[in-house]
Amino acid sequence: MIRIAIQSKGRLSDASIEFLRSRGLKFEPNGRSLVTPCANRDVEILWLRSGDIPEYVNRGVADFGIAGANVLAEKGMELEGAEKMDFGFCKLVIAVPGDSGIHSVRDLEGERIATSYPIILSRYLQAQGIRAAIIPLRGSVEIAPRLNLADAICDLVQTGKTLSDNHLKPLVTILESQAILIKNQYVIPAKAGIFSELFPNQIPTSVGMTQKL
Amino acid sequence: MITPKILQGTRDFLPRDMAKRDFVMNQIKSVFVRFGYDTVETPAIEYAETLLGKYGDEGSKLIYRFHDNGGRDIALRYDQTVPFARLVAMNWQELPMPFKRYQISKVWRADRPAKGRYREFTQCDIDIIGTQNLLAEAEIAKVMAEVFQALGFKNVAIKFNSRRLMNSVLERLNIPREIQTIVLRTLDKLDKVGLEAVQNELNGVMEPAVATRLLTFLDSRGNNEEKIERLQTFDVQEIREFLEKSRLFGIPEGVLEFDPCLARGLDYYTGIIFEAFLKDVAIGAVCAGGRFDDLCGLFSEESFSGVGVAFGFDRLVVGMEQLELLKAVSLNAQVLVTYFDENTLPKALATLNELQRANINTEMYFEPTPLNKQFKYAAKKEIPFVLIVGPDEVKRDEVTIKVMKTGKQKTIPANQAASYLTGYTS
Repeated sequence: MIRIAIQSKGRLSDASIEFLRSRGLKFEPNGRSLVTPCANRDVEILWLRSGDIPEYVNRGVADFGIAGANVLAEKGMELEGAEKMDFGFCKLVIAVPGDSGIHSVRDLEGERIATSYPIILSRYLQAQGIRAAIIPLRGSVEIAPRLNLADAICDLVQTGKTLSDNHLKPLVTILESQAILIKNQYVIPAKAGIFSELFPNQIPTSVGMTQKL
Repeated sequence: MITPKILQGTRDFLPRDMAKRDFVMNQIKSVFVRFGYDTVETPAIEYAETLLGKYGDEGSKLIYRFHDNGGRDIALRYDQTVPFARLVAMNWQELPMPFKRYQISKVWRADRPAKGRYREFTQCDIDIIGTQNLLAEAEIAKVMAEVFQALGFKNVAIKFNSRRLMNSVLERLNIPREIQTIVLRTLDKLDKVGLEAVQNELNGVMEPAVATRLLTFLDSRGNNEEKIERLQTFDVQEIREFLEKSRLFGIPEGVLEFDPCLARGLDYYTGIIFEAFLKDVAIGAVCAGGRFDDLCGLFSEESFSGVGVAFGFDRLVVGMEQLELLKAVSLNAQVLVTYFDENTLPKALATLNELQRANINTEMYFEPTPLNKQFKYAAKKEIPFVLIVGPDEVKRDEVTIKVMKTGKQKTIPANQAASYLTGYTS
């Protein structure tokens, strides 16, 4: 039996379900249960919050998972050369109010930036040699400038509508993201076999926290 | 008036030095603590008889010894091992066995000061007593590896050998006991003076053919396995078991180097011995020690076998300075709140309280002087942020944060000061 973790509701869920069904897996849509067995194969679907998927796969509770590159990067997982799936496109951008005095990345020096992605943002700022105050927020990041809680935001953008609704304009894209198929780094060959038989064209990327010493 | 001066071989440490030393100390301690070591402390002054005769003839001459006002014969702590042995002999019934502890304190030696040699310096020891299991040696090695990693050293060698193995080699070659100490000291220099010089020196005390055989056995070329192979006809079980237990501890491959010539100066080692080096800094061993059979022999009927090492704290600091691993160490204050006048003082102190509650190290300037002077004070104390709480700020319930490094100022609502500073990226 193999377990595949996907997002229970959100940006990636519909496309993830469609992807699994396109390879013939038969399962009920997400009800109240966390785990749904497939009717036709020895596969269990694990419905999770997107931010939990990397952790479940990392710990081997799920063998495989579909997660956004943005989520994986925020968890500090190394994913160089990961094969990307053809859905879940979005960008992580830094945006500022339309009338802001911030016109370039340089101008962010010393300003307040609200975000749900503090790790990715602080890495980006560090690489740019810019120091700024990161204001971590769980959600509704886009209203922070209007409340004088931040001078800029760093948030996920799909269509750009949320930004324009809140009179924000993008300054720079710091990450292009799409869905990535991941697997536990110690997944046993038998399970890897079941998976590649189901999804012959997919090469999952191993995740694991980098082991120190 | 007295000209202010300090004894040669002693040092004053100013805040900048102490910040670095504290940082190193805390890194080292945090590793010890993670392995469950508790600490003990012994007095700086002991009865002279406690310390005399424990450090060999040379050592005993270097003990600081004096008579106190009551005419007692007193000595200053010379190392941490002998006082520890005394402490164990007095308290062993209270202690859990096996017993392990770390100990960091100053020691004093009446030595002639030289570069890197002080009369007062800090030692940093860990010891495990009351077990013969090689797991203790492996743990000591792992602690060493973790300390070096915590300090940021990437390129280290933990050399080890077995005194037992060395003795059996000397015995097989019928090298008489009287010259064994000289032979060990000579072999110990192999790294420094080279094979030829060692061979020549050995030829002076034994048959050249025997010296050649000895050096063939103790050849330290090749990897650990090759070196063990050459000693196959001796009992190398101890070496193998130590390496295996170290491997299980997850000590990275290549850090542990079996060095069959390693001898360590002191005579009381009986099993595995250690000497660790920074490969990028030529300052000699930064940590050394080994297994001793009887710690408390002179103080107690009870016998305690143990294993321990001492870190050369000052050398580690020098090594980190040289490799620029201490550049990021900062002084304690993160924020200076300015003192504008008596009207703004209540708001300034309220802000200080709030920042301190958020665990941000914050201090207040002591005089309502021009801001320029307060900025200068911040610069001299290397305080990265200055919080300006002036009349305009108070009126609007705001604060202005000046980032000293960039000179940039940012005015934000007063109640956001803590979150701004906490979120500020480095």
